[in-house]
Amino acid sequence: MAELSSNNFDPACHQITRAPIKLYNMLIKPVGWIAIIMLLMISCIKDPPLNPEADIESFTIDKDLLLADVFIDQVNSKIVLHLTDDAYDSGFAPFITTSAGATVTPASGDSIFFGGDTIHYVTRSQDGRYAKRYTVELASIGNWAFDFEHWEIQPTDKYAYPVEDDGSMVWTTGNPGVALSGVSKDPSSYPTRSTSDHMYGMKAAELVTLKGTALSGLVGIRLFAGSLFTGTFNSLNAFVNPLTATEFGQPFAGRPRRFSGYFKYTAGSIFQDKEGNAVPGMKDSCSIYAVLFKGNTRLDGTNINTSDRIVATARLKTTGDHAQFTRFDIPFEYATTAPLTGKHMMAIVVSSSQYGDTYRGAIGSRLVVDSLRIIY
Amino acid sequence: MKQSLLIYLMLLTAIATVAQSSDKETVRTRRHESNVLAGFNLGAAAPVPFPNTIRKIDGWWPRMSPSIGYEYIYLLPQKWGIGASVKLDYKAMGTRAQVIYFPTIISVKDGDQTNDFTGTFSGSNETRMSNAYVTVPVYGVYQFNRRWKARLGLYMSWLFSSEFEGNVSDGYIRNGGPTGEKVNIDVATFDFGDEINSFDVGLYGGGDLLIARKLSASVQLSWGLRPLFPSSFQGMDFPLYNIFGTLGITYHLH
Repeated sequence: MAELSSNNFDPACHQITRAPIKLYNMLIKPVGWIAIIMLLMISCIKDPPLNPEADIESFTIDKDLLLADVFIDQVNSKIVLHLTDDAYDSGFAPFITTSAGATVTPASGDSIFFGGDTIHYVTRSQDGRYAKRYTVELASIGNWAFDFEHWEIQPTDKYAYPVEDDGSMVWTTGNPGVALSGVSKDPSSYPTRSTSDHMYGMKAAELVTLKGTALSGLVGIRLFAGSLFTGTFNSLNAFVNPLTATEFGQPFAGRPRRFSGYFKYTAGSIFQDKEGNAVPGMKDSCSIYAVLFKGNTRLDGTNINTSDRIVATARLKTTGDHAQFTRFDIPFEYATTAPLTGKHMMAIVVSSSQYGDTYRGAIGSRLVVDSLRIIY
Repeated sequence: MKQSLLIYLMLLTAIATVAQSSDKETVRTRRHESNVLAGFNLGAAAPVPFPNTIRKIDGWWPRMSPSIGYEYIYLLPQKWGIGASVKLDYKAMGTRAQVIYFPTIISVKDGDQTNDFTGTFSGSNETRMSNAYVTVPVYGVYQFNRRWKARLGLYMSWLFSSEFEGNVSDGYIRNGGPTGEKVNIDVATFDFGDEINSFDVGLYGGGDLLIARKLSASVQLSWGLRPLFPSSFQGMDFPLYNIFGTLGITYHLH
């Protein structure tokens, strides 16, 4: 070994050769220092930031006043109300909760009346940096006859969604969920969109089962089926419990007899399971059905086929390939012949892959629907 | 990785052998010293200071992170010297933290497309990192006495293998930012291993204490000055720096 510094040999240093001190210097001291550095860094945790969030999280009014549960459309900052005539005439005082620390104007508990201007609720976040302006939308559904002639583009994520002649939304797609997966911001990169390949009018609804993205793969989604339904899409649990994100049903009055429309369908070539593995011998099929159920709370993907509130169902059974537009006209099958009383909702559910709700299907499966009707 | 390690060890042995044989004539003059360094790195890739979006560190654990290398010191008159090492350096750790309103842009390549998610995340984050570098520290050496020796200087590191992955869980994202729609997440994985800067540079210092005839206990600290990720990376809105201590031994070849 090199004798580096014999010129400065200090006999006092010999004292630290004693074993315990040596051990201290060897191990404890450096470990201690590193621990102190780590602790210093960890203890540098700052005060929490003020809340930048400004959601209206709940908007509660007496259920008797509603034909459908209140839907807070967080994507488009809308509060959608299906009111009874009485509620429209008398007004009401909603109970509102917001993101922690945020404020809302008009305040929770303030009465609101209709007939004048559009009503807005404005929230401001606790940190004061963010505001949201919610529009109260009074929804009412006229004829249950849909030709999918009018489509709008969601401004930030650029997916298409169908609207009625008066601009109201009866139909919803699964596109808001797909938007979270980083697909390119273009209507054609989403599974549900408009097409000029129509039966009546100028347009129809096109649903194509698409491959999941690398980003959606991170949460285990490898396939997006096109989906179109009467109801609302709730993004909150779109990843955790996707079947609950599709909230099916819109208020419906009357006793429906038949469900009719036109469709064409071409199944994709390779059916894949949830993990993305090909399933030989399995052929994709589409899904087109209508369900009438009791109450004013929507059903979702977990109970649309099983709920004891279901009154009648009309389901297309020939869901294989149909190269040309094909007319269907299916009678509603009622569980009982008893007359209908109370509030009801109607869900029409259309998907390009029958098992798309569990992310199984064939990429490329294409369904076009047009001129859907509920016949009284 | 194993292959790289093997190649490196062979290289190291070769250097040591060459150094040893060529030293014979100069030993008497005590003009230089060569050592084998071996140890473990303990530390973290950490933000400095912590942003207020990090609420709590639930855990930190070291991972297999050896550091081995060869050191050459050219001795100047009196107590000074100039040293350089070449080391194979694993910088590894795991950590679990709670974050709130954490801004992130996650870009995932998907063939010729890139999928982006932009928004904020609140919830738990677990990160596992293991990056391997060839590190060259260059430093001044000061010999306090026969037993104590200190080093102070800079290091440069070249990345040759990287892992930076983990998951976010039990929380929610907001699409686009704080006012975007809230989407609950039970668990989602991430892998940013390919995005790590291939070069790191920082401060380097340490001390050696002679504990046997040819052996010293050694403590070194390397404090990275270059962010772990390039500025184009937007997975987190603050830079991380490699801050690692090395605990080990110095074996004096001659």
